[in-house]
Amino acid sequence: MSEPNSSQQTAPRWRRRLFRNPLAIAGFTFIGIFVLVAAFAPFIAPYSPVEQNLRGTYVPPMRIELRGPEGQLGLWVREVSRTPLGQLEVGKELYPLRFFVRGEPWSWWGGLLKSDLHLFGVDGPIKFYLLGADEQGRDILSRLCYGAWISLSIGLIAVAIGLAVGVPVGLLSGYYGGTFDLLAQRVVEVMLSFPGILLAIVLVATLGTGLTNVMIAVGIAAIPVYARLVRGSVLSLREREFVEAGRALGSPDARILLRHILPNALSPIIVQSSLQMAVAILFAAGLGFLGLGARPPEPEWGLMLARGREYLATAPHVATFPGLAIMFVALGFNLLGDALRDALDPRRG
Amino acid sequence: MTTYIFRRLLTVIPTLLGVLLAVFLMVRLAPGDPAQLLAGEFATPEALAEIRKRFGLDQPWHVQLGLYLVNVARGDLGESVRTRKPVSYELATYFPNTLRLTLGAMLVALLVGIPAGIVAALRPGTVFDLLAMLGALIGVSMPVFWFGLMAILIFAVGLGWFPVAGTGSLWHLVLPAITLSTGTTAILARMTRSAMLEVLSQDYIRTARAKGLPGRVVVFKHALRNALIPVVTVAGLQFGTLLEGAVITETVFAWPGIGQLLVGSILARDYPVVQGAVLLIAVAFILINLVVDLLYGAIDPRIRYE
Repeated sequence: MSEPNSSQQTAPRWRRRLFRNPLAIAGFTFIGIFVLVAAFAPFIAPYSPVEQNLRGTYVPPMRIELRGPEGQLGLWVREVSRTPLGQLEVGKELYPLRFFVRGEPWSWWGGLLKSDLHLFGVDGPIKFYLLGADEQGRDILSRLCYGAWISLSIGLIAVAIGLAVGVPVGLLSGYYGGTFDLLAQRVVEVMLSFPGILLAIVLVATLGTGLTNVMIAVGIAAIPVYARLVRGSVLSLREREFVEAGRALGSPDARILLRHILPNALSPIIVQSSLQMAVAILFAAGLGFLGLGARPPEPEWGLMLARGREYLATAPHVATFPGLAIMFVALGFNLLGDALRDALDPRRG
Repeated sequence: MTTYIFRRLLTVIPTLLGVLLAVFLMVRLAPGDPAQLLAGEFATPEALAEIRKRFGLDQPWHVQLGLYLVNVARGDLGESVRTRKPVSYELATYFPNTLRLTLGAMLVALLVGIPAGIVAALRPGTVFDLLAMLGALIGVSMPVFWFGLMAILIFAVGLGWFPVAGTGSLWHLVLPAITLSTGTTAILARMTRSAMLEVLSQDYIRTARAKGLPGRVVVFKHALRNALIPVVTVAGLQFGTLLEGAVITETVFAWPGIGQLLVGSILARDYPVVQGAVLLIAVAFILINLVVDLLYGAIDPRIRYE
């Protein structure tokens, strides 16, 4: 345990330890890509996430050729489409793939960001599906980009709900004990009796499906985790000398809790928040997969995966890419959480 | 020991009551008329009136709660809106399948997780250790349903080794059990590794080695036995997690267990079955934790005297 006033001195050490850990770097990389894609989804996505194309149903990921029609170097693609009979048809003509092209106009961040610039696009009258298209001919890459925004929002809001309720409950429960603690712990126990995603399922069954309710349900499911964690830290912290000193000096309880106890209980909270982001994203995708989460045509990753299940044998790409996206994002937050725990744990110093 | 068991049993009662209250409130807090939810969307006025009377829905809340508790104690969980059969009958039909799946997954997790953890702990810092721990981390991060779909794609559709879905033979159980086990395998591997590392640094291990005992004996007889105590506890507690994971795994493999029943019932707004399934899973989870705690007290006497 670090001393209360030594946080400034130890900060660089844990940071150094964190950035020297290759697993932490990998975690940061995955999270960084995820956040960038979510923040600039319409720019990275070549098309709209809901635009359908009847000639593009279940088109597999397309090939990029490095030689053009006259053998010139570059990135070239051919049209792949479905005939009315359902056969795949590969076009003869080659079209160049270009970066920073003008395309469909978009507006993002509530209208703050407006443009028609896209990271890449085809120079020609065809559609290019880098990761293939789904059952309605929608571009899977575009849907994944917009879905990143959904997953990020769910993760952040759910963790925020868990923190906002769980941390105060844990602080008060651990500090004061007594009746409040007894009651709060019974409630926490009841919530934890619905293991894992089941609590979120119960809440969604009560509240109804849809993205907002998923955020609330996954957030509520995080509350008991934080309440337990913080209560445990507070129980050991409240007997420490610096807390007793604060009390002896006549500091009000609120000050002791917020200035002395909370800062010293922060490390496990930070670690848990990283791990909880992974849990929240997995839960939300799980609910989406079960049909209890986001509703079509929302490009939510779990829902996308569920739609891909029906044609798993003929169009495996529809289920594969959303699953990979979920896995890498969850892995990123798990790697970071683990690395933070190692870096912040003074026993390993 | 008797007082310990007795005290531990007492702590379960408020939790059980709380779970019952939560399940009771589920239908009352959901938007819409509870009678309609319990009787189904297309219920006749007579059926609605009957449901109101049976569950006391026209009475004050505390009377309703009392009636609910009495009904549950009698084993009366209501009737399924879809099949018109008693909920208890539905649960009894589906639960054994979930149990079979959960036990299969636990077996896989024990057989893979513990050896992986042991080997990682014996060679800390090596490539194998890193791979095992990275694999464990991926196991925790992978969405169960995606792993299941990929398993179906590769081993059922592609190679044709296993059936795509359903129940029946032991072959039907293999893919779902492996899928469900991934998270638990990962946790057991990490747990075994850290427990082994801790035990291996103890003085009595050095003594055993100094005595000239062969490495195998030291590892399996002296170290593993002690390291396994926390691992066994975690494995026991993981049963509850497996029950929860079964909800998703069963949906992937069309496995007719309690999870599939639950999800199907939520989608069909068959609230009596939803309540029953949730209650069953939560109570099973509480009881498993109770048994694990009691067993832990029996294995490790230090626990009892806290």
